Amino acid sequence: MDYYVLSRYAYWKYYFLILYYRLAEYPPAIRVWVIFGAISLVLIVAIVIGNLARSVRTVADARGVEHNYKQYWDKMKEIALEPRTLEPLEISAALELPKNFKMHEYTHRRYVPMLIDMYRQFGEQMNKINWQRMLQVLKMPIYFEEQVRSRNTRKRIVAFKNVADMDANLKEAVASRYLFAKDRKLQNNARLHAARFGTSYPFKVLLEDPNLVFTDEMVVKFHNVLVYRQQNGMSMPNFIHWCNRTPINEELRIFAINEIRLFHRREDCAEMLSMLINSRDERFSCALIKALGAMEYVPAEKEFCRRYLSASYTERQELAEALGAINSGNPKVLQFLEDDFMQTTDYVTRMMLLRVIHNYGTIGQEAYQRLKEDAPKEFAIYFEHIECDLIDSRRYA
Amino acid sequence: MPEWVIQWFSYFVVVYSTLVISSYIAMAVLAFLEHRKHYTYHDDAYTIGELKKSPYTPGVSIVAPAYNEEKTVITNVKSLLSLDYPDFEVVIVNDGSKDRTLELLIENFDLVKVPYAYVEKIKTKPFKGLYKTKSDNPAFKRLTVVDKVNGGTKADASNAGVNVVSNKFFVCTDVDCVLEKNALYRMIWPTMASTRRVIAVSATMRMSNGSIVEDGKMVETHPPHDMIPLFQDLEYTRSFLIGKTALSRINAMQNVSGGFGMFDREVVIKAGGYDGDSFAEDMDMVARMIRYCCDAGEEYRVVQIPETCCWTEGPPNFKVLNRQRTRWGRGLFQFFTVHRDMLFNRNYRQYGMLTLPYILIFELTAPVIEFLGYLMVLGLLVEWAINWSTIWIAFVGLYIFAQLLTVVIISYDLWVGTSFKDRKDYLWFVLASLLEPFFYHPINVYFSLRGYVKQILGTQMVWGNMTRKGVQSAAKPANADKKQSPPGEAGATAAADAATSVAAIKSAVEEEKKEEKTDA
Repeated sequence: MDYYVLSRYAYWKYYFLILYYRLAEYPPAIRVWVIFGAISLVLIVAIVIGNLARSVRTVADARGVEHNYKQYWDKMKEIALEPRTLEPLEISAALELPKNFKMHEYTHRRYVPMLIDMYRQFGEQMNKINWQRMLQVLKMPIYFEEQVRSRNTRKRIVAFKNVADMDANLKEAVASRYLFAKDRKLQNNARLHAARFGTSYPFKVLLEDPNLVFTDEMVVKFHNVLVYRQQNGMSMPNFIHWCNRTPINEELRIFAINEIRLFHRREDCAEMLSMLINSRDERFSCALIKALGAMEYVPAEKEFCRRYLSASYTERQELAEALGAINSGNPKVLQFLEDDFMQTTDYVTRMMLLRVIHNYGTIGQEAYQRLKEDAPKEFAIYFEHIECDLIDSRRYA
Repeated sequence: MPEWVIQWFSYFVVVYSTLVISSYIAMAVLAFLEHRKHYTYHDDAYTIGELKKSPYTPGVSIVAPAYNEEKTVITNVKSLLSLDYPDFEVVIVNDGSKDRTLELLIENFDLVKVPYAYVEKIKTKPFKGLYKTKSDNPAFKRLTVVDKVNGGTKADASNAGVNVVSNKFFVCTDVDCVLEKNALYRMIWPTMASTRRVIAVSATMRMSNGSIVEDGKMVETHPPHDMIPLFQDLEYTRSFLIGKTALSRINAMQNVSGGFGMFDREVVIKAGGYDGDSFAEDMDMVARMIRYCCDAGEEYRVVQIPETCCWTEGPPNFKVLNRQRTRWGRGLFQFFTVHRDMLFNRNYRQYGMLTLPYILIFELTAPVIEFLGYLMVLGLLVEWAINWSTIWIAFVGLYIFAQLLTVVIISYDLWVGTSFKDRKDYLWFVLASLLEPFFYHPINVYFSLRGYVKQILGTQMVWGNMTRKGVQSAAKPANADKKQSPPGEAGATAAADAATSVAAIKSAVEEEKKEEKTDA
């Protein structure tokens, strides 16, 4: 054999032909099977290499994060907790950053876990100006902008979440590009970001989107955003106006009512009561009843009692709970609850009414004792259950 | 053997194998899409942070039946009580234990019997009492212990637990399971993120046999170093990270594991709760929940989350494995007799048209076909009629494909967030995968067939106890006393194990027969 025949290409060709002619002797099913086996083998090698590469990267990142913790944690903590406002140059000097400090994805993603950790631990005590300046010095806003602008959806979403987690700064214009993005999750993250940091009226987008999908996940996140805004003295929405706007998402209407309850906006009670009078939707009515009850709005009692007799099973339970929460000491209401206790046959409602009566002040206690004495023997367990402090009385709610 | 039998069986095997492999590939691709989606959109730490702060986070109840669990009950209840979640309760159902399970609970958690107005929403064996703590410890206040007459099945005990839970969602688990600290956050999230009503959530379960557990908390995760649990760990991982994840993507989940799963209480009660007569009560429960939703015209989703949330002790020997797999085989057979009307029924959507046919073709009939295959190979060997030049190609191709699936699950596990901190631990999976087709798989075929035969003959089933080593508050795994051998040495041990496996299976089967006789 000469040198040419032994060249790499010829070698491959030679073995391929051997395999090819050997396989040609087999039926087609076996030939297909061999090809399948060969592809599987190639895939195994490729996946193993991919996994190794990913593992190496993960380990390197973990080491980088650990190194950053050692090098910067104490210095950064000192800067963040320093009551005196520091200039960017001072911060840069304190962190011993090089003069030509540049943004690199692989270095900056290793700062992120540490910064989030620091904000979670000391967020409430830290000097916010120093914190923001430190992020500027570290070029974190530029890093997040780059991430949000990247083509990778995960990077965009993670960037939005990281910004929220460390209270970083990201230009409103960058985030607003995705307010109506096709990808719902990306859209939601952009909206949450806008709602958190927006300075004008960032909730407009919720009210004007006819295709809004407002899941429980968004309820949780939006509430947290609203709490953040309140804590930082930013403008808060007028929830009652959300309910009156058309078109409005039903879930958003219920969310608005629940927010009125959680932020204790008593000034909206009168309007909520008028909404309740006209409401036909069970879930919305329940939210209104719960809110009015939680805010102890006494004028709602009359409407509650009127509504009770024609209400659905779930709504009745909400009404009884709300009457108990208002706890105005009104004997008429107590009589109403007592009458219903005597009439109802459903044990859940009966237990709840009994609990409401038991907690309805002094007159409630008297009525409870009266009921206890008059009750047949088989009901004794209900009374004992209510009186036992060790059992969570909400169990029947 | 007649020529035409061999011919037709060969054609059948080729078609069946092609279907099986195609289904595996389709599932691996679907699972890939689901994992990618999860990786792109989900951030565990962020989600937990949001849920922790929110008043909207729903409460969750944990129901854990306990029967003769005195060895482990205290550690495990403490572990359940130490979970991280804003609003949860733990309901332990003492199913008429004959040992000191209840006494230990009363002593350790300062419990007293309370006058509880028990209402039987789901029919169970008589309720004896409910216990609450009088201690001021806020963690203990989350605990409720229900005492009832022994119902003979986990289903009955779980139903009693469902009757007393107070939250909309409840997690059903075993008292010996070790849960991840953040398991409840992970489980509740899909119910909040979905636009459709989520009626059940399943999470990945793994074997705790090789891991280090301290005070009921997972300290270090390692694969089991005994071969039977190791095989089972591999099997579980494959099932959860490929099978269930793929089916979850198309809303066609067949099962939420009885070991760890979250359910919508209202749907469970309306569906009639767990069936005490079923040998596969978890699968039966999901089927009946889906049946209820479809009959009522309600939208539903059954979701699988890829993160590992629960660690359970796997069968350590052939005796327990035999009992478990025979019961599963029997349960599967029974399941089809009970729910046969759902099969190919369009009213039951994906479940009727896709899930059940899949289970029928690839899970119920597979052991029978495999068994026939073994018989055929034996017959051909006797007649010396095997085409050796073809059979080795077929075998090697299949073997490579099995290894590919293992590599795929390892990469999915790495993608989701590694279960094992030490990457070298995955070599154990590779080892198990190399040995599985020779030892573990044929044994499982035998156990499944045994279950089918028992179901057909209507043999009385014994609900034996799972033999547990018991998780001690030690900083060592259960087998840490032994010097942990590397996978290579373990391979030799496994081969030796396999040599004695036939004798072990024989003795396991004989022991079970003896138990049945005693029980009768």
